[in-house]
Amino acid sequence: MADSLVIETADLRKRYDDVEALCGLSLQVPAGSICGFLGRNGAGKTTTIKILLGMARPTSGQARVFGLAADRPEPSVAIRRRTGFVSEDKDLYDGMTVEEIVRYTAAFYPHWRVDLEQRYLRKFELPSGRKVKALSRGMRTKLALLLAFSRGAELLILDEPTSGLDPVVTEEVLQAIVGHVAGAATTVFFSSHQIAEVDQIADRVAIVDRGRVAVAGALEDLRETYCRVQMVFDRDAPEPALRTPGVVRTRRDGRVLSVLSSAGPEGILDEARALGPVSTEVVAVTLKEIFLETVRHED
Amino acid sequence: MLWYKSWLDTRSRFLVGLVLLVLSACGTVFYYPQVLKLMPMASTIEASGDLGRRIREGVALASNYRGYIWSQWMRQAMTNLATLFAVLLGSGGLFSRASGDSALFTLSLPASRTRVLGVRAATGLAQLLALAVIPALFLPLLSPGVGQSYSPTDALVHGVCLFVAAATFFSLALLLSTVFTDLWRPLLIACGVAIALSLYEAALRGQSTYGIFRVMSGEDYFRTGRLPWLGLFSSVTASAAMLFTATRTLARQDF
Repeated sequence: MADSLVIETADLRKRYDDVEALCGLSLQVPAGSICGFLGRNGAGKTTTIKILLGMARPTSGQARVFGLAADRPEPSVAIRRRTGFVSEDKDLYDGMTVEEIVRYTAAFYPHWRVDLEQRYLRKFELPSGRKVKALSRGMRTKLALLLAFSRGAELLILDEPTSGLDPVVTEEVLQAIVGHVAGAATTVFFSSHQIAEVDQIADRVAIVDRGRVAVAGALEDLRETYCRVQMVFDRDAPEPALRTPGVVRTRRDGRVLSVLSSAGPEGILDEARALGPVSTEVVAVTLKEIFLETVRHED
Repeated sequence: MLWYKSWLDTRSRFLVGLVLLVLSACGTVFYYPQVLKLMPMASTIEASGDLGRRIREGVALASNYRGYIWSQWMRQAMTNLATLFAVLLGSGGLFSRASGDSALFTLSLPASRTRVLGVRAATGLAQLLALAVIPALFLPLLSPGVGQSYSPTDALVHGVCLFVAAATFFSLALLLSTVFTDLWRPLLIACGVAIALSLYEAALRGQSTYGIFRVMSGEDYFRTGRLPWLGLFSSVTASAAMLFTATRTLARQDF
């Protein structure tokens, strides 16, 4: 199961009237990973998650979770039986008390973990008798996490789990996710536009831009393969047509030419020598830089 | 547990409806002595045209207790209130984004949309049946209090006719709730359809043998002792068709 894929989409497309939310999104999430799904607002993160959970139907393409077709009713129920989900708005039943919604949710899952339920009730200090609508946003998020964790789910899908939370609660939530995954064979797929939190807890990342995955891979691999080659010239930097594969973006700023590469510096350095720079430097890049360079468009 | 959630969603509407309909049944029964006192005055009223016809018909029906109950309660109060509460019970629901509930939380649970809608429909129909039958059963219980009697069989038959016909409006409201994401359009459109049908039937002045409100009031049973089988069958068919369409609509919907 170590190398098997929990989530797999191929050329996934979704059109809402005249808006193309997904334009051929292909994604792979291996079992046991914590995969951050990064993208700007409106990039297609929530649409992808909704398709994976059977809440929206793809216009074309394939989406499979645990090898099951997400767009078919019966397999979708089977997927949801093995998946915990926290929505961006932390939608829960406002009219129920904490205890009622816990009992309600537990009834759908034969492998409901009462031990986890009790542990997280204590850890999150959730008041059992309080109505959901009376909970703060932070408490609501914690309750949503409790309901997702206690399902005994093999996959957690979290849509912007920390959105709208203060830094203290954000840290608590992130630690809770990491702590939970450490003690269970669970795959986590969480969307975010907060690069720092993806950097903090994810071991894989997929950057979605304009409805398709622009960058994907293990975070360590990305850190190793992505780099910036900076060249300083004794004149205005030339406008080179670099043929080396992996050039993500080239930027000229006076005498400085900066090239972001997704395939290491070697090829670019070979080409750069021919340009005659005064100095050449290879600089490591952060996830934030990779993200910004990937999603930044000249328009 | 879907049943429990469905009950929580609709219980206030159901309980308000039940209390109102029971109070209306009680009021109708206990007002009968006043009607008897006013009966001698009715013959002195001079009115012509449609109004006169209606008054004479009302007086004739109220001359006996069974006719009074049917004309005042079954045909008027009960049909209006039952239609209203059928629409109210059918509007909104587990996937309604306007009801303040969380569609995404429900959709993330391992239950098919068909099952969720089926439970929602079954809960609403059970409540509608209770609204139709329980207040009607108060009639035979309370009638001895005014020195009258009312057949429990009549009460049951009228309750069932009312339920079957009102279920059509319930199904319409439920179908509309799967089409529109807000709470008000299903409610207003279903009420609009009910008002249009009642005006149409009123314009036909009783010539419409199978009108839905005629079926709902059990007029054929009251006048002839026979059940309006064709009307009942038509209502059941229309309800089933709308519930099926609601299921198909919901299956295709994106959230």
